[in-house]
Amino acid sequence: MRKAVVAAILLLGSTALVSGCHKLTKMVGTQTEVKDTAYPERVYWGDTHLHTANSVDAFGFGNRLDPEAALRFASGEEVTSSTGIKAKLSRPLDFLVVTDHAEGLGATKALYDAPRILISDPTLLRWYDLMHEGTKGSLQATAEMLDARAHGKLPAGLNDPAKGAERTHKVWSESLATVDNYNQPGKFTAFFGFEYTLMQGGNNLHRNVIFRDGIDKVSQVDPLDPSSELWPDKLWDYMDAYQAKTGGKVLAIPHNSNLSNGLMFMLTDPNGGPITAEYARRRAAHEPLVEITQIKGDSEAHPFLSPNDEFAGYGTAGWDMNNLLNTQPTKPEDYAGSYVREALKRGLLIEQRTGVNPYKFGVIGSTDAHTSLATADDNNFFGKHPGVEPNPNRATDSFVPGVPVERVGRMNWQSLASGYAAVWATSNSRAALFDAMMRHEVYGSTGPRMTVRFFGGWDFKGDDLKADWVKAGYQRGVPMGGTLKPHGPSTPGNGAPSFIVSALKDPIDGNLDRVQVVKGWVDQAGAAHEKVFNVVWSAMDQRKPVGGKVPAVGDTVDVTKATYTNTIGAPELATVWSDPEFNPGQRAFYYVRVLMIPTPTWVDYDMVKYHLTLDPAITLKQQERGYTSAIWYNPV
Amino acid sequence: MELKASTRALLKEPLVHFLIAGAAVFWLLSGRAPDLGERRIVVDKAVVGAMVERFYGSFHRLPSPDETDGMIRDYVADQVYYREALRLGLDQGDEVVVRRMRRKLESLAVADAETAEPGDTQLQAMIDRDPARYSDDPRTNFEQVYLGADTPDSRAAANAQLTDLRSGKPINAQPAPLPAKLDSAGASDISGLFGDEFTLALRDQPTGQWQGPIASGLGLHLVRVSARAAPSKPSLATVRQRVTNDWRAAAIAKAQAEAYQQMLGGYDVAIELPK
Repeated sequence: MRKAVVAAILLLGSTALVSGCHKLTKMVGTQTEVKDTAYPERVYWGDTHLHTANSVDAFGFGNRLDPEAALRFASGEEVTSSTGIKAKLSRPLDFLVVTDHAEGLGATKALYDAPRILISDPTLLRWYDLMHEGTKGSLQATAEMLDARAHGKLPAGLNDPAKGAERTHKVWSESLATVDNYNQPGKFTAFFGFEYTLMQGGNNLHRNVIFRDGIDKVSQVDPLDPSSELWPDKLWDYMDAYQAKTGGKVLAIPHNSNLSNGLMFMLTDPNGGPITAEYARRRAAHEPLVEITQIKGDSEAHPFLSPNDEFAGYGTAGWDMNNLLNTQPTKPEDYAGSYVREALKRGLLIEQRTGVNPYKFGVIGSTDAHTSLATADDNNFFGKHPGVEPNPNRATDSFVPGVPVERVGRMNWQSLASGYAAVWATSNSRAALFDAMMRHEVYGSTGPRMTVRFFGGWDFKGDDLKADWVKAGYQRGVPMGGTLKPHGPSTPGNGAPSFIVSALKDPIDGNLDRVQVVKGWVDQAGAAHEKVFNVVWSAMDQRKPVGGKVPAVGDTVDVTKATYTNTIGAPELATVWSDPEFNPGQRAFYYVRVLMIPTPTWVDYDMVKYHLTLDPAITLKQQERGYTSAIWYNPV
Repeated sequence: MELKASTRALLKEPLVHFLIAGAAVFWLLSGRAPDLGERRIVVDKAVVGAMVERFYGSFHRLPSPDETDGMIRDYVADQVYYREALRLGLDQGDEVVVRRMRRKLESLAVADAETAEPGDTQLQAMIDRDPARYSDDPRTNFEQVYLGADTPDSRAAANAQLTDLRSGKPINAQPAPLPAKLDSAGASDISGLFGDEFTLALRDQPTGQWQGPIASGLGLHLVRVSARAAPSKPSLATVRQRVTNDWRAAAIAKAQAEAYQQMLGGYDVAIELPK
């Protein structure tokens, strides 16, 4: 009996005693009229993946900033971080999705706020006391929570979905009201969303869920708890039910495939059988995007899978050893199901067999920060969670300070200050941004806000760049995320696809080194291949390719000062590229990778700021990058 | 009944508000605050009612008589332990208890601000204090031609290109994914595309004629400004949500700070650092 009362207190999250009334003020704003342009004229930057104090682990890690602080920060305001540091972005973002974990939404905060005398579960009591001891204890408690989660041993009081439903509803309703108050169409879009933290053991199958609609529709549902699930089917059912009930729209974005031990992009269905057309269609319809880069590593490509790609392996070190919760090592045969380029290839193979491509997705970057602060700039990076907000030790701490690296698997310096989502939309509004995501007209960046255009057609010529090539791109071709129009007898051109590729540097970041097109295809024998083409780079006159490789752009980074200069590279790179190896019988995809010149990592900025002496193995400079969604080709 | 002016003033004090609220809440939890040495535990209707309400809140049914008895037994045991622990001074020097108490008072201090609805006068006053924050950006209509990286060569060529543009001849612009023409662009939009340096330089260009080159974070540009619109005066109707958000954030911060300062004022704090 006693236990039931305890659970009730915990799960309700708050009695009047604890959190008082919360922000349930209603929307008072007037809806601004937003005009949509005929085609996307500008790119909008945002973060589709951010956690606040309402996330069970974020609060445990010491996050005390609610969704309101997250929204104020993303829209350009200064806020004070959980560890007391003033924080402000160099430029506002255009949109934000607060994606707190549905599982145990608000639970840690509820545990923290509960009267101690009412907690009888010894494990919960231990965590309660640890959290109240301060940051170190809090990190320890959270590490133990994640451990318990990995082994299915969370105390029922914290994790029972049925009993947690009420607390979830309360926290969700409050969060919706706050998000709605900060949605300013035309200026700043605040989406409703949550994270579906699906896991098998410690294998990461997480998805972020984003709604297109307003509070009238979204408030008709609560976020879905995945704790007893192994595969995403129940999430897709939930999404279907939402759409049927409200007439609204919702999408899901898988993330950290790099920590899934091969389960994110499998060649088979969950039962080990071949993927059917129906399964493929269902996956592609619900999951139009994948998060390709974030703080917990980069999932584009792995050197094991792409030995001929000299730039594969950005942000893979440390993250490629074990699964998310460090419960299983990652074996080489797992890599293929864990990285995006390979998934795009697998998609072609499955489409060859079934007629449907389950992995026809676009790509974005996002932070997955658990600080409520969407930072992806190396010189202004607030880390994965409050335990690694700026401080002199974070470069050499383990990923969860105080917990040995053998337990958490990674050193914190292996975190990337990455990434952001770029969306080519017709206005800054929920509807326009969401629709652009559905048609994959998006790209991901590891932080710099570089502008990238990519159009595919059959008759683009170098001369097109002299006139209004964006208009031409839309009229005679398809933008990133699209499928080349079928090539018929009357199609102009020489029979090979041609692409307009254009990249412009971030006005306040480094110059560009090169633009590459990554091609994947399936040959007649049914085997998948890939090739990276350098299509345009800076100082092409001097940097002549040698043995198929373009000489390195150079390096102006002074790691002792954490500086670089834009005396190398180019501010913009553009070309029209035609595939010299095109075979009309082969199914293929093409995507663009833009590389920046070398610049300092956040660790280098820390080293200079805090006068640190660091192990030479620690990465102090890097080439940041942007990845576009692919353009696909289907044989007629 | 008339309240004395001093009592009325006292009732307006936020500190008094949350001390009253705190006492009320404490009473809700435990019947009433026990005096040290108090040896009588009363389980009355109010206490049982609160238990039943909490039970109903989570199970959507009333507790059975056995369950109610169990809750009462538990409540009595809680009270016995709690009072014994207080008598023994176990709350003293316990960091967990200290933090919990602090957090309770902190959340009580901001409870009013979180739910208060500001009046139009208050919101208008906020706008008047910082109209620039709430007004639209100044708007500019302009065309731009991108000349590529800012190098001695491109600077040298820029003047001839400017002359060509002024005489209506086409020039070789660099193909960048930048709009050639921007209508009614706000300063923050322009900065997002070109950087702050360009936005500032653009502000000083005369209208009607091609000008430049001016530099951005991307390189060099020639520009022609056709029109400028001063920022519109912000009206409460159009910025109500934003100013309400700001008002609430400020009110919460202020309530928290004031409550602490008032309490702090009642203490002498001596800090003796080790040498």
